[in-house]
Amino acid sequence: MTSTTMAENTGSAATKVGVATSAAPFRLIRRGLVYLLLSIAAFISVFPFYWMIVGATNLSADVIRGKATLGGALFTNAATFFAQVDAPRIFFNSAFIAVVATALTLVISSLAGYGFEMFRSRVRERIFGLLLLLLSIPFAAMMVPLFVMFSQAKLVNTYVAVILPTVASIFIIFYFRQATKAFPTELRDAAKIDGLKEWQIFVFVYLPVMRSTYAAATIIVFMANWNNYLWPLIVLQTAENKTITLILSALTSAYTPDYGMILFGTVLATLPTLIIFFLLQRRFVEGMLGAVK
Amino acid sequence: MNRIASRRGRLLGLALAGISFFSVAAASAGEISVWVWDKAFNGDTMREAGALYTADHPDVTFNVDDSASQDDIRAKLQTQLLAGSTDGLPDIVLIQDDIAQKYLQSFPGSFEPLSDSIDMSVFAPYKVAAATYDGKSYSLPFDSGVTGLFYRSDYLEAAGFKAADLKDITWDRLVEIGTEVKAKTGHLLLDLDLNDTGVIRMMMQSAGQWYFNADGSLHVIDNAPLKKALETYAKFYTAGLVKPVSGWAEYTGTFTSGEVAAVPVGVWITATIKANADQSGKWAVAPIPRLDMEGSVNASNQGGSSWYVLSSSDNKAEAIDFLKTVWAGNKDFYQDILIKRGAVGSLLAAREGDAYKASDDFFGGAPVWQDFSTWLSQIPSVDYGTFTAEVDSAVQAQLPGIIAGGDIDAALQAINDQAQQQMQ
Repeated sequence: MTSTTMAENTGSAATKVGVATSAAPFRLIRRGLVYLLLSIAAFISVFPFYWMIVGATNLSADVIRGKATLGGALFTNAATFFAQVDAPRIFFNSAFIAVVATALTLVISSLAGYGFEMFRSRVRERIFGLLLLLLSIPFAAMMVPLFVMFSQAKLVNTYVAVILPTVASIFIIFYFRQATKAFPTELRDAAKIDGLKEWQIFVFVYLPVMRSTYAAATIIVFMANWNNYLWPLIVLQTAENKTITLILSALTSAYTPDYGMILFGTVLATLPTLIIFFLLQRRFVEGMLGAVK
Repeated sequence: MNRIASRRGRLLGLALAGISFFSVAAASAGEISVWVWDKAFNGDTMREAGALYTADHPDVTFNVDDSASQDDIRAKLQTQLLAGSTDGLPDIVLIQDDIAQKYLQSFPGSFEPLSDSIDMSVFAPYKVAAATYDGKSYSLPFDSGVTGLFYRSDYLEAAGFKAADLKDITWDRLVEIGTEVKAKTGHLLLDLDLNDTGVIRMMMQSAGQWYFNADGSLHVIDNAPLKKALETYAKFYTAGLVKPVSGWAEYTGTFTSGEVAAVPVGVWITATIKANADQSGKWAVAPIPRLDMEGSVNASNQGGSSWYVLSSSDNKAEAIDFLKTVWAGNKDFYQDILIKRGAVGSLLAAREGDAYKASDDFFGGAPVWQDFSTWLSQIPSVDYGTFTAEVDSAVQAQLPGIIAGGDIDAALQAINDQAQQQMQ
């Protein structure tokens, strides 16, 4: 009896030891694999940036040859770029359109999201459902009628024509509505008891509480507007009204593209979105997680 | 202080923005606006033509806009003509020849028939044919895509071939030459991009054929030149003479870096090749090879574009008169754009000028421009139809199978089926 229990005991002890000793390298391998995969993913996402920056410092011929180290042609490329592109004007166009469109989108879409969530009714739910359905219509299908509209309103080739169609963004309305679900209604009730009107509640209570959501939405909307291509392409006609995305696209289609110069322009065009992102990064993550403080 | 200054700055910014916030760009009278897509090539060429005209007609000015790519221009034209709104469209627009019929047939009445006022017989016939619809020709032919076989004479000489060995040969003979060059020098013959049907199209046009019949229906399955072209294309690969590339940068980078021995391409590539001054004297140009079949000649075309006047233009009369005076009448202008921009125009009489007769040291002192203009007049005319892009993508889809030794007849059937589907 005792011997068998002994045997069992030692056996189980042995297996325990065995598990402990074999688990450590196994865990190491697994962790190593995870890091390897993450490193590959990081490399894949960072490499285009690296290539862009390196390319901006090399001559076109070196870019084509695939030279992946920093070169000394940064100033040559900059000079060519500024000689060929009316940069102040073009960047002003992009910035103006992106900033105004972002501000308007945030105001209009957050109001709508707030309204849809706070004042529910069956009819409004239907309307909201319809809006979500509209998300599935590709922009290309609406382009021609939209153009006819703006052309009749004599707004073709103006900033207004670029900004207006984007300000009521269904996705951002949806995003704000979802975020508003986490907004504590007690706050609104308390504010009401204190005698605040609805617009005051929105401005003084809702807005400060939803900072993170606004920050995240700012990044999303600003990037979408800064990078917007198809509609500005159709509706902006003259060179002095065009945005940087359109100009970069035109530069790449030349018969003998100057890749160093184009990549220099691309670096410049990427900077604003990068700056906005880093400024709002912390809030962006909070906003994505739906945190309400 | 600071706050006031920044507020003033803000106001200034807003005022600046307001200038174009609500203003609609209206082309001022007497200003001819032109859309082009390459600043250095067709942009500067048009600017120069404009300056010539303004010198004699001070009341007419030009606004040449090169801020859009060719794809962008197509998207804008298509959307606006479809919307029936011509606000902000230019007076003159540049359109590539192989897409022109699509616009002419889809949007009748949108372009001015130039053959009513300009004698088209002074231009290369194939260029005029590309823009002719319903008996009228709508374009003022600009740059020619006349093809040549650009090759590294130093590599070829090292393998024992002289210029005469490459004159008026067939593609099959080029494969033999390429095999020998590879064996003796280690250089591959050419670089090809499977997403580009350029070489196949130039082979097909050299036999006076295209993807379509005269009535616009598909001409693929029993298209002998197309079949022969696909077979030839496969031969390059089975003989191991191709450096596969992807995209324009790698394509041009491969032959300008000296990796391959030859490139069959339109004359507009000259500027790209000559940009490498250290290779001067090492290049030469031979006539484009022909298909080994009846009816194929040693002349073809790749790309090329022409000027169109929009019917919506307020300055139609001026625009047409400008095209007639400078583009259809000024031989010296063509000498100038050849020297400065490397642009081979389509005016046949231009070849009598000095620039065309000059020899080029970069190409071993050969009279390359005279050669090109000779080939230009021999290019067979074809009807590019309205669905070239659709058939092109159907051809591209079959290329990987074809170079792997796939059955050509089956591929033609597949091309036909896919194209048929897209044309409906």
